[in-house]
Amino acid sequence: MRLGKARERTHTKPFKLSNEGKWGILMISPYLIHFIVFILFTMFASLYFSFSHYDMLNAPQWVGLENYTKLVNDTVFWKALGNTVYFTVLFVPAQTILALILASALNQQLRGLKLYRMAHFIPVISSWTVVLYVADAIFNPRFGLANDLLLKLGMQPQQWLNDEHLVIPVLVVVAVWKGIGYMMVIFLAGLQNVPEDLYEAADIEGAGVLQKFRHVTIPLISGTTFLVLVLSTITTFQAFEQIYVMTGNSGDITAAGGPDNSSMVLMLYLFQQGFAFLKMGYASAIAWILFIMLFIITLIQVKLQNKWVHYEK
Amino acid sequence: MAFILVLAGCSSKDDKEASATSDGSTTEITLGFYSSGSADEKMNELIKKFEEQHPDIKVKTQNAPYQQFFQKLDTQIAGGNAPDVWLSDGVFVQKYAERGAAKDLTEWINNDLNKDDYYGLDFNKDSDGKYWAVPQGIQIGALFYNKDMFDKAGVDYPDDSWTWEDLKEAGAQLSIDSTGKTANDSGYNANSVKQYGLTFFNITEGWMPVLKSYGGGVLDEELRNSIVDSPENKEAVNYIVDGMQRGIFTDPSDLQAFQSPMAPFPSQTAAMRIGIYARALAANETGVNYDVTVLPKGPDGKRFSPVIANSWIISNSASDEKAKAAWEWIKYWVSEDEVQKEWAALGEAVPVKKSVANSDLFLDSGEKPDNKQAFLDSFDFAGTLDVNAVWSEWVKKFGDNIDRAFLGETSVDDSLEQADKDVQKVLDEFYNNQ
Repeated sequence: MRLGKARERTHTKPFKLSNEGKWGILMISPYLIHFIVFILFTMFASLYFSFSHYDMLNAPQWVGLENYTKLVNDTVFWKALGNTVYFTVLFVPAQTILALILASALNQQLRGLKLYRMAHFIPVISSWTVVLYVADAIFNPRFGLANDLLLKLGMQPQQWLNDEHLVIPVLVVVAVWKGIGYMMVIFLAGLQNVPEDLYEAADIEGAGVLQKFRHVTIPLISGTTFLVLVLSTITTFQAFEQIYVMTGNSGDITAAGGPDNSSMVLMLYLFQQGFAFLKMGYASAIAWILFIMLFIITLIQVKLQNKWVHYEK
Repeated sequence: MAFILVLAGCSSKDDKEASATSDGSTTEITLGFYSSGSADEKMNELIKKFEEQHPDIKVKTQNAPYQQFFQKLDTQIAGGNAPDVWLSDGVFVQKYAERGAAKDLTEWINNDLNKDDYYGLDFNKDSDGKYWAVPQGIQIGALFYNKDMFDKAGVDYPDDSWTWEDLKEAGAQLSIDSTGKTANDSGYNANSVKQYGLTFFNITEGWMPVLKSYGGGVLDEELRNSIVDSPENKEAVNYIVDGMQRGIFTDPSDLQAFQSPMAPFPSQTAAMRIGIYARALAANETGVNYDVTVLPKGPDGKRFSPVIANSWIISNSASDEKAKAAWEWIKYWVSEDEVQKEWAALGEAVPVKKSVANSDLFLDSGEKPDNKQAFLDSFDFAGTLDVNAVWSEWVKKFGDNIDRAFLGETSVDDSLEQADKDVQKVLDEFYNNQ
């Protein structure tokens, strides 16, 4: 009976690619191969490692859920998670709002406009090392401008990166400065797509500048805003280089994340556990938690976009 | 010039010997080392001479800056294509040894090397008496002091009679705040120090020598258990915290202000530092007028000088033939006078071969510090940094806790109690899984 059925199926036309389909596959094959070898394969490898003890120097040993149960009781992990969320909560709105304001300002017909735009884009293309030299000139507790200013205002100098409560806000300020130019350019593209006649119509209705911004600009660039929000969230969850360099001692990975782990974020913790302490299994577990969190957050953002993002039909 | 001629003469003689014994086939080995600027050139020169002496061995090199080198090395070992012989930071030798990546060299060392001829072989010996690596160059700690600052303050130079308390007393006279007051004056502002008595950094050049000379330490002799929560450690840490609170020693937040935590001594912001041999390079570069002496004694007269023996490791996965060729390289490195002399001339490390270290070439090189003998004398009371397989990890745990005490955020008792638990947990996690 079953056999018959199977034979029957062979009579139906086998799945066959059209000529066009074959070409399509051929065309995307460089990416497809790259995806399978360097992304899919490594993802499954890291999933496997996350269930094992793996010190890189010896073969991984399967330990089931041990890494994950250990994470639950790891106070530094929770602290790193909290810091990551804190960093994101400060960074994403600050960067988005400031980038939008900046983009609106630079969307005017001004003299030397290109120069202003370029000036804001320079930190984006500079390496973190360069940016951090500038940051150090400001936030260095002994020689920095920030403390000079505080002293001139008659206030107490601060330990900036060495203060448990200040370190993340300071890192966020620097990160916003570095990243704002990029988001500004995305916003500029969005702003320039807003049809001029809508503003003209609003003018006829007698709308002021703020009203036009509120009722014309914001709804029409909501798609762009959404993109900026998703991109910023993802980059902050992956923040690593900045914190590694700004809080570590001359590139010593084990020294970064201080003081007292108050700037330890998930990516840094992952790297430290994996590469400095050879706990690749544990690091893989952290990576998967990070992946799942980012996936959920992005999913929520996508779901919520129906409520506020407006696409032109 | 004469030196080079001698060298040339030497190698051409060995050439003949080597080719006479070789059977004509060549072995290629891969040699990995972390780069450090000018030393690279010298390393390549020495490798070339080695190949001339050993025509049957070809050396392929792999090098990268420090951080990248070790990251790459770990992935290479994981992938089964580690270099056949590589240079390891002394603090990582046990990391490789205890995870089975390093070859046990005990037999070869016993057969081929006269142990009394070399410094530091024992620093790579585990508690079972096995040797896992052979030193390439040795870092050993001494007390660096800025002569100009001492002269200006009218304080006698430190000598081997000093205790840590003497150091603090002298340090107080050498600490100056922005208004010119010293740490002994009333109204001294410990928050705006212009010149520190002692700069204090991390484990090697910070708490470890103090802890050990006070009779404390971090791990027991088997390196499997924490001994952090001891009265000796409390006394030592109280001594340090007091120095920091009085603005005589740099605390971790002071160091944050310098581009590099190594900077206070060479930039003449600190009168003294606990420094390993290599710190002479930076001090010489900036032209500090300084010298060195042995580190101070603890309250009971005990001394301790920290040692890091950067070492050659042979890969456990190298074939017999390649391992043998790699061993030839190691023997050449440590036993050839010329190699030892050329490497010593770089001023990066104390030579491994005692005869070279005790020669004028090292002791009287014309470069500061004058009293290089202090480094050699320090071998009498030298020890490792309780190095084991999970060294980096317990150092981080201990450091995080102790820094809180240094910054005055928690009491010494509490920080040591917590550090004890955290360090033990790291040890148990690794050794109970073995």
